[in-house]
Amino acid sequence: MVGTPVLFIAIPLLAAFLIPLLGMIWKELVRIIPGLVLAYMLVLSVSLLSYVLENGPIVEVLSGWAPPIGINLVFSAFSGFLVTLMSFLGLIIWIYSYRFKRNVDFEPSKKYFILLLMMITGSIGIVLTGDIFNLFVFIEIVGISGYALAAFYMGRNSAEASFKYLFMGSLASAFLLLAIMIIYSQLGTLNMADIASKVHLMDPTYKVVAIIFFMAAIGIEAEIFPLNGWAPDVYTEAPGPVGAAFSGIVVKAAVYAAVRMVYTLFDVSGTYDFLLIMGLITLIVAETTALRQDKLKRMLAFSSIGQMGLVLIAFGIGTLEGVFAALFLMLNHAITKSLLFLSGSYLVFNSKDKYIKEVNGLGKFMPITSFLFALGAFAIVGLPPFAGFWSKLSVLTAAADSNLILIIALILIVSVIEIVYYFRVVNRIYFFKKGESVIPQRPTAHALLAMITLGAIILIIGFYPDSITGILHKASADLMDKTKYINDVLSAK
Amino acid sequence: MDSLYKMIEYGIYSAAILLILVGLYGALTKKSLIKIVIGLSIVDAGIHLLLVSIGYLKGGTAPIFSPGYEDKADIMVDPIPQALVLTAIVIGFAVTAVALSLVIRLYRHHDTLQIDDIKNLKW
Repeated sequence: MVGTPVLFIAIPLLAAFLIPLLGMIWKELVRIIPGLVLAYMLVLSVSLLSYVLENGPIVEVLSGWAPPIGINLVFSAFSGFLVTLMSFLGLIIWIYSYRFKRNVDFEPSKKYFILLLMMITGSIGIVLTGDIFNLFVFIEIVGISGYALAAFYMGRNSAEASFKYLFMGSLASAFLLLAIMIIYSQLGTLNMADIASKVHLMDPTYKVVAIIFFMAAIGIEAEIFPLNGWAPDVYTEAPGPVGAAFSGIVVKAAVYAAVRMVYTLFDVSGTYDFLLIMGLITLIVAETTALRQDKLKRMLAFSSIGQMGLVLIAFGIGTLEGVFAALFLMLNHAITKSLLFLSGSYLVFNSKDKYIKEVNGLGKFMPITSFLFALGAFAIVGLPPFAGFWSKLSVLTAAADSNLILIIALILIVSVIEIVYYFRVVNRIYFFKKGESVIPQRPTAHALLAMITLGAIILIIGFYPDSITGILHKASADLMDKTKYINDVLSAK
Repeated sequence: MDSLYKMIEYGIYSAAILLILVGLYGALTKKSLIKIVIGLSIVDAGIHLLLVSIGYLKGGTAPIFSPGYEDKADIMVDPIPQALVLTAIVIGFAVTAVALSLVIRLYRHHDTLQIDDIKNLKW
């Protein structure tokens, strides 16, 4: 054991606040410290995860107040898997943006790394916490750093995108607070395990109202249609690695919150079907909208929303296979969409409006970046032998096991749409003539390292899916077992 | 006396819900960015009021074990909603500050606060 779960929150927060002071001593520390912190978090999460897979969940009680009174952190197979994924992506994004733009000077890089660390802290906190008010606080940490990162470039459009996100986010936090208040007034507890064990005592009307407020709030953060109006704007206007952080880290945390609520907290019938239907609508609307986008990052943003819809469908199936498929999809989407955002932002690096037509013919001038983008595109539409194939296959088999034939048909139709718009971009990269005014940008060595790592992981999971499925099976079994979660938390000291 | 207390209780609840609705109305229908931010703050205030009032106890006292109140835990008001509201106020303050700074940024770029004139981004 190299540490306890609370370090996932304490260390990056401490580092984020120390960065300005350390930057006064030596400017390079501003860039180095976040990397050290994220590398430590990755090592810690991997070692804790391997411990948890053998010996069962770690429940950490903060400041000696045992549950249900105090705040506790739960590092189980499910949350530990997500924490490992988030720490890994955080490290990749740090490597990528170590020298993101040569012309970015000291001051912006300081703000960028502080905000990025805060956002990762908040997301990991959402996943680890066992207390719904604490969940609210972490969602706000993610929100506030997210608003600032969305407006990072200080342009007119980024301020507009950020204000949209802030407006939706404030409404989300208001709804979340209302839901928490209703639960507290009914049950007198804020601890998730305690709520889960007492939720049958709640008045059914209040329970439905609370779950509606909760869903509305989490839906805004998790990009569920029709609450995702902010997402395409923020993805388009924020820096490329921030887009990767949003789709790979923040949205995963929000989906975790929604799933924890449906699977553990409430026992209302019909919530699984609700997830299924909302996921289906999100998938169809987002993928058809992505088809008619003419800006690269905006297209990726809609594709990201669509993939989250697919994850919700898999969770909504409600069986063990469904949860397994959803976790597999979350893993693949986090890695693949990050690769697409990171390589895609180099493809349109020097263009002002980031139109798709500006990537024409770049395959000759930026061979590695273009190849990695194409790899990501093939993986996300689910071509074998890439990672995305196995996750899409597991969604389809999970749906088939539950006799949801209509869902299978719709997923396959939407996959065709997905293939059309991704292959259109790949076709432009390789088989079109380069425009006169387009200046190719050589990626930095750090960026190449980050992108090649992600590409290699896509291939490894694609060829050896067994390397990861063991962990995913344990994580999905962990999520399904509600009584064990309650017992583990409430018996912690 | 009891009925008066009930009336006050319902009065506070309805005032809080009214505040939430006023704030939502302002945030959703007004065209000026500043008014939208004010609306969001009013929603927050309404929720905070509601949260504090559900923790109140008739004839309750402050949740502090001061001399003379060592064994009076049953007449103390619930301290948790107050702690929650304190946290929520701080968060609301931070969000409002970020929102206002974004409004300033938008005003510098567009020379207007009307959201109808700021629509570079759309679906």
